[in-house]
Amino acid sequence: MKIFIVIPAYREESRIGAVIKDVLKSQYPIIVVDDGSKDDTFKVANKYEITALRHKVNLGKGAAMKTGAEAAFKMGADAVVFMDSDGQHKVKDLPNFIDALEKDKFDVVFGSRNLSHGVPFVRYIGNKIASILISILFGIYVSDLLCGYRGLSKKGYRKTRWESRGYGVETEMTARTAIYGLKHCEVPVETVYYDEVKGVTILDAINILFDVLRWRIRL
Amino acid sequence: MILGLQIIAIIFALLMIYFAVLNRKRGEIDKTEIISWVIIWTITIFVVIFPDLLRTYANNFLITRLFDLMVVGGFILVIAMVSRVYLSTKKMEKKIEDYVRKDSLNDVKKNNK
Repeated sequence: MKIFIVIPAYREESRIGAVIKDVLKSQYPIIVVDDGSKDDTFKVANKYEITALRHKVNLGKGAAMKTGAEAAFKMGADAVVFMDSDGQHKVKDLPNFIDALEKDKFDVVFGSRNLSHGVPFVRYIGNKIASILISILFGIYVSDLLCGYRGLSKKGYRKTRWESRGYGVETEMTARTAIYGLKHCEVPVETVYYDEVKGVTILDAINILFDVLRWRIRL
Repeated sequence: MILGLQIIAIIFALLMIYFAVLNRKRGEIDKTEIISWVIIWTITIFVVIFPDLLRTYANNFLITRLFDLMVVGGFILVIAMVSRVYLSTKKMEKKIEDYVRKDSLNDVKKNNK
């Protein structure tokens, strides 16, 4: 099974190099999608033996993930694993995703952080509320709904092909997984929080909430 | 109608006509749009100067004060315009997304050749 690692990146010139170096050790092909960064993220990524793509304007994490996934499948991938570009996801957890996709033939593999350790309290509560809400509305419980460390088979991508351009992507992916009855599982991942400013903010959370209601009606 | 309020409304309408003309000169709106805007704002000025023109409509809708009719009408107009702007923004965002993503994916084809 040909598996690609897709890394959406935005303004990560200081960290992307280390992340790529680390992921290169895994021997899997890597696609970095620079989502219109004004800094040198693309330049740094382009130095390595990987596929570096660039959005000319900033569209959001969801759009960058979609571009990365489409590029991977065009290049012959059978599955993709998404990782964040700030180094919060560890390569040592990658085998869990590979096994779930390759051996157990799961279509969607959700990474789940141990939310009771090292995660800011507000994010912990927000994440839990979101998980419960999705569970009520769509009948799927994912313990760490907002974790960006995820794996998708080709079929999984085709079915969950999301519309969200921003941080709603993980939630939409989960909702679509439930609606299309895709084979899914959760694997434990270690996470280190580096950036308090980036990631899902209260405003993003409100937007996602409205989107969730919209998906419930539309999907 | 309060005179001060009428003056403010007329100045606002004249300003909007000026902006419409300015936009036309810059080529941002076409002939039909400038004509429509000038007609809309001229009617507004007329109604503001002669509010009794609306008396019959106010009675039909059981609205006692003309001012209330104008406020309700204004709200309806604003909501309609906001919805239109929202939809066109969504459409535009989708177009930009498709264009940017397609452009980015072209690099994959080039790299694969």
